[in-house]
Amino acid sequence: MRTVYIVVVVLGVAAILVDHLSSPSSGRAMSPEDFAGACAPCGAPCPSKK
Amino acid sequence: MSTASLAASGRGAAVRIDRLFLGLALGATAILIALVLLDHQPASAALVLGGFGLGIVFLKAEFSYTASWRRFVTRGDASGLLGGLIVIVICALVVVPVAALSPKYGGAIAPLGPSLVIGAFVFGVGMQLANGCGSGTLYTVGGGSGRMLIALLFFVIGSVFGSLSLPAFLALGGIDPVLASDYFGAWGGLAVTLASIALVASAIIAIARKRGANFVPSRSYVIGGIAIGLLCVAVFFAGGHPWSVTFAYTVWGAKAATALGLDLSHSAFWQWPGPKRALTDSVLSDTSSLTDFGMLFGAMAAAAATKPFAATAWPPVKSLLAAGIGGLLMGWGARLGFGCNIGAFVGGVASGSLHGWIWLLAALPGCLLGIRLRPLFGLSRE
Repeated sequence: MRTVYIVVVVLGVAAILVDHLSSPSSGRAMSPEDFAGACAPCGAPCPSKK
Repeated sequence: MSTASLAASGRGAAVRIDRLFLGLALGATAILIALVLLDHQPASAALVLGGFGLGIVFLKAEFSYTASWRRFVTRGDASGLLGGLIVIVICALVVVPVAALSPKYGGAIAPLGPSLVIGAFVFGVGMQLANGCGSGTLYTVGGGSGRMLIALLFFVIGSVFGSLSLPAFLALGGIDPVLASDYFGAWGGLAVTLASIALVASAIIAIARKRGANFVPSRSYVIGGIAIGLLCVAVFFAGGHPWSVTFAYTVWGAKAATALGLDLSHSAFWQWPGPKRALTDSVLSDTSSLTDFGMLFGAMAAAAATKPFAATAWPPVKSLLAAGIGGLLMGWGARLGFGCNIGAFVGGVASGSLHGWIWLLAALPGCLLGIRLRPLFGLSRE
């Protein structure tokens, strides 16, 4: 199990690094709720907006 | 040998530091903090550190929503459930008024409808099969449980399926979020929120008394609840919203699917502004990912600081199967139910949003079903 964990942690951190370095960064960290019209933590719109 | 024994205590117990995994946890955390600080994002570093603290406290206090709710459903023991309410009270004292008075902050809100109820129910089934909820999965994975590593993998997969299902379930109907501060103002909303928590606590105690069960939280739950509540407040100030866990899983899964050649960008969920941005931007621009990474490595550091890390054998296949199925159900349910026990229940109630209580009422019957299914996988009902 320790070997699996080492592989997962190393690959996970590598994936974060690759994603971070190859993706745009919007400045500050955000939640989908920060966007206008969002009605839930995942950014779903409000029923009344449909 | 990667472990080292420290001085034995007077009782003869030895503290064994697993230097390899302690180093991995601290090194990974340092890398994440360095990356966000290079982008001039001190708030993001605070989110990682907040998550790191949460991982330590959850692991040390063995703060388990899943086991607490199971004890309540099976025996009427309300001690853990009430311990969980301590977290919500501390959060609510800050989140309700600040979110109502400052445009820079917002509460955890969600629409009320079939999607919320179905999602929470399915999540409740999954959390009992997996033996861990949103936060529980994170800190037990960080603590060295290979079984929960399987649960997390399927949690991530399930949440991607959930993201594809959510628009269809939202189309079934619903009403806009009901927020106490919208009706009673910042301080009136806080009073109503605290009153609702007191009312639920009274009902829980009454049930426990009727069943002759304990309802006094243990010392570790009281201290852990206070510490988690304070860290929730810190995460709220750093991220602008209450602590949430499962949106990150959806983002990780969608990014992995995209890397494997699947194009999710045309689905309705991933065209909404928030998810669309989360899919294209760096994973370190997502608040829930930052706290999740911190929590994983915090729990890993805490576990590795006291004993050899992940030194146990893999559990039986049936147990792993339950973890996988439970993870899938939790992932799917979390997207339909607008979060897990943290994002939907703790965050929702602490924001004065009615959906938090509805989520709890729908998740508890799901827990009951999940508990009844546990023996099929060789798991006890206790």
